[in-house]
Amino acid sequence: MLLANREIRRARLRFALLSGAVGLLVYLILFQQLLLGGLLQSFTSALDAQDGTVLVYSSAARKNVEGSVLTPDTVEAVRRVEGVAAAGRIGQGTFTVVSEAPGKSAEQVEASVFGFETGLPGAPTRIVQGVAPSDVNEAIASQEDVAKGFGLGATVRTEAGGVPLRIVGLTENSRFSVAPTLWVTYPTYEGLRRAANPDATAVFPTLVAAQPTEGVSPTEASTRVTAQVSGVQALTRSQAVTEAPGVAAVQQSFSIILGLAFVVVTLVIGFFFLILTTQKASSLTLLRAMGAPSGYLVRNLVVQILAVVGVGIALALALLVGSTRSGGGSLPLTINPTTVARTSTAIVVLALAGSLVSIRRVLRLDPHDVVSRQSLGGLG
Amino acid sequence: MNLGLKELRRRPGRFGAAAAALVLISVLTLFLGGLLDGLYLGSTGALRAQPGDLMTFSGNSKLSVIRSRITGEQRAEIAKIDGVTAVGGVGFALVSAAVPNQSEPASVTVIGYELAPAGVPDRPMVGEAYADQSLETKGVRIGQVLAVGPKQLPIKVVGFVSDTNFLQQGALWTAPTTWREVLASARPDQTLPSGTFQAVTVQTARATDPAGQASIAASIDRSVAGVRTVTRDDAVLALPGIKEQNSTFTAVIGVTLLVAGIVVALFFALLTLERTGMYGVFKAIGASSGQVFAGVITQALVVAVVSFLVSVLLVVLAAAGIGDALPLTLVPRRLATTALALTVTAALGAAISLRRVVRIDPAAAIG
Repeated sequence: MLLANREIRRARLRFALLSGAVGLLVYLILFQQLLLGGLLQSFTSALDAQDGTVLVYSSAARKNVEGSVLTPDTVEAVRRVEGVAAAGRIGQGTFTVVSEAPGKSAEQVEASVFGFETGLPGAPTRIVQGVAPSDVNEAIASQEDVAKGFGLGATVRTEAGGVPLRIVGLTENSRFSVAPTLWVTYPTYEGLRRAANPDATAVFPTLVAAQPTEGVSPTEASTRVTAQVSGVQALTRSQAVTEAPGVAAVQQSFSIILGLAFVVVTLVIGFFFLILTTQKASSLTLLRAMGAPSGYLVRNLVVQILAVVGVGIALALALLVGSTRSGGGSLPLTINPTTVARTSTAIVVLALAGSLVSIRRVLRLDPHDVVSRQSLGGLG
Repeated sequence: MNLGLKELRRRPGRFGAAAAALVLISVLTLFLGGLLDGLYLGSTGALRAQPGDLMTFSGNSKLSVIRSRITGEQRAEIAKIDGVTAVGGVGFALVSAAVPNQSEPASVTVIGYELAPAGVPDRPMVGEAYADQSLETKGVRIGQVLAVGPKQLPIKVVGFVSDTNFLQQGALWTAPTTWREVLASARPDQTLPSGTFQAVTVQTARATDPAGQASIAASIDRSVAGVRTVTRDDAVLALPGIKEQNSTFTAVIGVTLLVAGIVVALFFALLTLERTGMYGVFKAIGASSGQVFAGVITQALVVAVVSFLVSVLLVVLAAAGIGDALPLTLVPRRLATTALALTVTAALGAAISLRRVVRIDPAAAIG
């Protein structure tokens, strides 16, 4: 291993540049996975964090919560479908809310509000502190937004109409549309809507959350609702999360970007060691002629690859920690050790795969070349 | 310099590794830039096209057009402010529309307007609309009648306009009455009475003077209760996610370009090392360090330019393959800035070999 270490020490700039490039690329890969996770988590997790296993949208909404409106007749029709045990109205809207973060002055914040019917499907399931709202003007907020003035016991008010909401509980992983999310009772939601627009002719629910009867699966129940009630599209809870507009496009975009970044890392490491091996071919042949076994030379190469990738990953992690500390704006950026471990393993494997040509080249060095090839000092 | 170019012509394979890596990095950069531009243009077109240099929202809406409402009285007061030359109401309704002969409905934004935006003709008759060209990919044609919103209100397409979409939904520019009907049918809780709009676009006598605009905006906010006035550009940046999108993508593009610089530095450091003997000979026969270094920089620039051109071709092909599944848009300005950034980064990367070139001793060439 002495040879590998010495070469790195003597060509510090070259190896530092390679480690730097690998580090930045690994950082890009990890940071983008962090962004993707935060984005998806804050985008639709509220839909997954309520207890209705079937969600009914108006068919014109095309699976978009914000585009869905259901009439009272439609809600009743859903309740009458055989296989639906219970169904509750869900109202969703975005409101300008005035909150007061600790030590800061009052600030306008865009917040998503979910109204649910107490005792019926659609209630929040991930309450980690406090209790569910049971009275008008009570709300529960996301614990991710406590620092924005949505802490337990705080009172926030919607800007339009000035309706005050007291925070009586906190949820985790229950946000919607990358915004602070409040869960309130359905009458509170109706009140907020009417306060925001005194000209409103009616406040209709956005969705219906349903629970199938025993023995009926959510998939079966959603199929029955879509078939039997006109103008609606029913989805299972997991479909509602994964098929929300934009989710597939975001995942596809990130997959392409991440895929390209992985290819670039492999290519850069592979080409670097191939050029280096080609440049050192005469010295390596000499070493072979002097008795150094191929295995020793390959081990040296592998040690160098692992050293470069190791330093690169360490640099990437340092940058990643720095990025999460500086904050992701409204996105919760949390490093997931499993993702880091998986990505690091993939990078090591790809780096070794990319260097297979170099390894093959080392294995094919012929010690006899020293005496037979003029370029290596032989007689020709 | 000439020698650098000759080497490139005779032994292009020697630069293959650097070029391949740069092509991929450039593809990555262009793809990120194309996504950013696609998201930005597709979300902001309707506001960018507004004819007024200022926009007024209700003060409690946090500059969200959807949550804002400006009454007829407020609008009349704004029109009286010194420096205001015209005021026009504007309103948005995000709905879906059934397109004749298409199984999938299209996501559209019905926009009611009073003052014609840039590139949009004067408002059409009630029940008619100018559609954004992007809706052509959804099967929309001139003369067709679309069934809009949950009540399937008929709206006839009478022409196409371009780059006017709102929040990634194809724009349908209509008379205020049409928009009001669609809004009331789709969202009864957002119904607005006649004369009330979500926002107003304000034309001023100081359209080219930022200080003058700021002064008029301040006058409006002081004189009219419950409103907030910003420039059109600020209204665009206030759309949900636009600022965050811009900063995140720009940072990722910046890091990617940094990687490009390091990769070029790395490969040219290796190439320089390989050619130390040859450069020694050049110096021994009279070439200066500057001449040798100019050859290295030229090679880096040529590799960067060729890689960029190949990457443009690949991204154009990829964009054609992806279709409208992703909002990928290639705009000339992005291509130009990426080309410039890549060549400058490549030149800076290659410059790292300067020290080694200067230190080459001509005496080494003769042993």
